[in-house]
Amino acid sequence: MMVSVDLLPLLFQGAAVTLQVTALSMVVAFVLSFAAGFARLSRIKSIRVASSVYVEVFRGTSLLVQLFWLFFALPLLGIELTALVAGVMALGLNYGAYGSEVVRSAILAIPKGQTEASIALNMSPWLRMRRVILPQALAIMLPSFGNLAIELLKGTSLISLITMADLTYQGMILRTFDSSRTFEIFGLILVMYFVMAYPLTLFMRWLERRFSAGRV
Amino acid sequence: MEFVKDAPIVRYRKVSKSFGDRPILKEINLDIAPGEKIAVIGPSGSGKTTLARLLMTLEEPTSGTIEVDGNQLWHKTVQGKLVRADEKHLHSIRGKIGMVFQHFNLFPHMSILRNVTEAPIHVLGLDKEEAVERAVSMLKKVGLADKLDQYPAQLSGGQKQRVAIARALVMRPKVMLFDEVTSALDPELVGEVLTVIREIAEEGEMAMLLITHEMEFARDVADRIIFTDGGRIVEQGTPEQIFYRPQSPRLITFLSRFRAG
Repeated sequence: MMVSVDLLPLLFQGAAVTLQVTALSMVVAFVLSFAAGFARLSRIKSIRVASSVYVEVFRGTSLLVQLFWLFFALPLLGIELTALVAGVMALGLNYGAYGSEVVRSAILAIPKGQTEASIALNMSPWLRMRRVILPQALAIMLPSFGNLAIELLKGTSLISLITMADLTYQGMILRTFDSSRTFEIFGLILVMYFVMAYPLTLFMRWLERRFSAGRV
Repeated sequence: MEFVKDAPIVRYRKVSKSFGDRPILKEINLDIAPGEKIAVIGPSGSGKTTLARLLMTLEEPTSGTIEVDGNQLWHKTVQGKLVRADEKHLHSIRGKIGMVFQHFNLFPHMSILRNVTEAPIHVLGLDKEEAVERAVSMLKKVGLADKLDQYPAQLSGGQKQRVAIARALVMRPKVMLFDEVTSALDPELVGEVLTVIREIAEEGEMAMLLITHEMEFARDVADRIIFTDGGRIVEQGTPEQIFYRPQSPRLITFLSRFRAG
């Protein structure tokens, strides 16, 4: 492994970009998951329709093409996005679409009796959602959110194709210097993705334990 | 009407409810006096549960009106006309009603104490100490003051139902609805729940609508028994009248089936 040390500075730089894009995309995806998930449950039909159009479009088309669209096609319409903005938007929109289904189905999974008991206690709709339904729904959402978060982390490797110097991109660059070290370079990249993803797994497990308080 | 002395706390006026084109309740008229204990009996599907759910605002009547303590529940008067009430209006009336459900519906993610303090703090706006004090005294009354820090999943069905009763009582409603509260319990746990309800009934001040299949319990606790069948109140009277001098053939059949089964 000593031989690999010279590769590390560039790979670490790349990993920093990967983490940055992951974190920003997660925030966007998280917000969109809840916005679109709740919108799917709205009483107003046009809101439901708008939300499901968004979900189906972004779930039903390739993430890579969405990325190219935002970065290469939008400038032709006069909208120039930096690679970072385009990357975060594409990842956030795409994973937000998946996440919204997680939010929607978790809320629907809470038994009707919970809502009825809260109504009988004269809780307002907002209070019912915030203190009764959501805490239980979050416990259901967490495992799926954990999966999506890890997929998102690994999905960021696609942004290397719109000029961003993430971990995968740095690996490709290093390989062009010395293709005889391909095995070593890609091996290191795999390990580094794993090292970033595993703490996420542990964190999600910890959250799941915290949210399942009281359930035997 | 002969049973009602004070101004009624609840008035159903020609209340009908259908699900799709299936009628569940047909033009029900019913007054409940303050503090009155009414048991509702009748075959399943006769509309007894719907009667309570309309009053708890869990279902909306198809037609007719319900008054609570002199105010329209499902309607507001705007320029002399009755219009459908909004959530804000429902909220202002609903606090006078409480309900205990067949399947308890405790909040599984909250401790027993929090199940009972949640609404007093966040709906009534009590400060925490006061809410805890009220909750603990109510849990004492149902015999569960030693379970404060446990979670619903750790309790038996009978204990869960007693927590649910405490949770509803702590809001101090004027009318309490008990919707087949022992139907989901193992037979050996029914007694402890009925005992608690009997004690509450003896305190008197709160009106109670008890939807039940426990005939003996209904006879002991109720001032008045209502027999529903096919979406109508077919017969009503004192427990003596209903159980020992039933008039309508349908009630006679119902009671005989009960004694046999």
